[in-house]
Amino acid sequence: MRLISVFCLICIFLCATPLTERLFAEGSGKWLERADSLYGEGLWFEASIAYERVYYLSDDAQQRVLANLRKAEAMKQSGEFSRAAGDLQRSLVFTADDSLRAEVLYQLALCFYLDGDYSASRSFIMQLRHDRGNSSGRQEVFLLEGLVMSAQSQWNEIAGHLDYWLLESGAPGMVRDSIVQYYKVNFLLGQPDSIPDPGRAKLFSTFIPGTGQVYAGAPGWGVLNAASQLASLGAFGLMALNGYYIAAVIAGLGPFQAFYFGGIRQAGEIAEQKRNSRLVSFRAAVDGFLINVAAELEN
Amino acid sequence: MALPWQSSSTGLHEGGFRREVDFILYLMSRGDLEESLFLIERLKASDPVRADSLNYLEGWVLYRQQRLMASAMRLLNVSESSPVYHKSRLFGAYNLAHSGNTVRAASELTSVRVNKGSMPAAMKNLQMGGVALLRRDLDTYLLHQEEFSGGFHVMALEERRMHQHYETIRDNPPRSPFIGGLLSAAVPGLGRVYAGKAPEGIVSFLYVAALGALSYDIYRGKGPGHPLFIVSASATGIFYLGNIAGGAAAVRRMNNEFRYEIDQRILFDMHIPLRNAFN
Repeated sequence: MRLISVFCLICIFLCATPLTERLFAEGSGKWLERADSLYGEGLWFEASIAYERVYYLSDDAQQRVLANLRKAEAMKQSGEFSRAAGDLQRSLVFTADDSLRAEVLYQLALCFYLDGDYSASRSFIMQLRHDRGNSSGRQEVFLLEGLVMSAQSQWNEIAGHLDYWLLESGAPGMVRDSIVQYYKVNFLLGQPDSIPDPGRAKLFSTFIPGTGQVYAGAPGWGVLNAASQLASLGAFGLMALNGYYIAAVIAGLGPFQAFYFGGIRQAGEIAEQKRNSRLVSFRAAVDGFLINVAAELEN
Repeated sequence: MALPWQSSSTGLHEGGFRREVDFILYLMSRGDLEESLFLIERLKASDPVRADSLNYLEGWVLYRQQRLMASAMRLLNVSESSPVYHKSRLFGAYNLAHSGNTVRAASELTSVRVNKGSMPAAMKNLQMGGVALLRRDLDTYLLHQEEFSGGFHVMALEERRMHQHYETIRDNPPRSPFIGGLLSAAVPGLGRVYAGKAPEGIVSFLYVAALGALSYDIYRGKGPGHPLFIVSASATGIFYLGNIAGGAAAVRRMNNEFRYEIDQRILFDMHIPLRNAFN
């Protein structure tokens, strides 16, 4: 009879208390399972809350780090790289497990890279190297470091990094040399320089209208600007010759100065845009090359 | 100040509700406001005490997210029996005032129950004075100002500053857009100078003068019947009329800018004591 009463009480408890309470009662392990299941369903926001709950509830330092790492994964899926990095920094004090600590450092570097904070990303990669020495030689760490260098336009440093990466990965000498050589020939020699230089484009347009735009790679705009300046100067001369001096100044010189100074500014802007777009496509090519190297080494 | 779930008399120390609220408070302390809101909205209030807790929590999260109207709606639902009643009502009314709903803010403040001579009573009076200034109801403000005691350090400075705002409003009545337009009609750009925008006035004058000179030049050479003169004279006339409208608009804009600036200062001096007293 007593056993039946206890059984009934347990049933009532299980049915009456909400899921939240039951999960609380069952501890952080249950929440971790639930969080994993939410993550598996693609519910990143809900999963990140559940992982945070594990972090909040658990007394086990290792489990807290694990929950934090998984939360960072969920947040990365939502594109919240900065917040993921902020949360991961809570686990930096954890030193009991080398591989977990290395994972935290790597994820921090990755999140900062994805957030566009390349200096912070680099500093965590260096910390990872310092902590683990050469044993930190995971492909993804080398790849991330290369990508960070690319984002920082350190094209020359990438050649040295590539050599070290291949050496650490145990690639045969010939393969190593050929890959580094390929990078030097295809990327290092053709790296984007300061051309077109916005300052120079402005200077050209200052002395010969339209030439700055031509130099920046927009000849159409150059011709249009030069023609506008000629037309306004022509209007000025024509009106002045006919004795309309005030009209010549207002309707001739007014538009001329606008076209002249506007043309100089436009030449600089076009050069800036062209240079940036060249840099972006070059960086994308280098990133693609580094990803291919990592994939090859992985195979 | 004790919160409902921290009070032993509410019986909320036990059970999942309290634990969930603790977790929500933890998230709020971390600044995870969206997450807090998500969890609050999933909680069900089975009794009035829990309803107060949820209204307060949700209102506070929304306030921190600067969703002030939504926050006001939640905070104003907190009942008088709650330990956070005064905080909720005063913040709720402030949120309404900040959102531009000063009429409702005044009415909500009037209905707040306070003990005479207490800090919430002085705070209510300061808030009502602030709302009266926001409404430019100077007589009502003076009624509240009489009760400014300076006796509570959390709001003594703001009480003095509120009176400075009153004096600024009293001494700077709005300027007339009609006079601005009239001045611009007399001398192009003068209406903008009257509105305190001298550089705009000079530019406006130069535009009209340059077009006028251009028309005169053509009139001198071609005579009044020439199409070029008609076109340039019409353009001058349009710019002249635009300058008059611009003069009036500049005065209106100046009035609005002045109003906005003073309103921001008043709201600031309503907000700071609330934060100091209830945080």
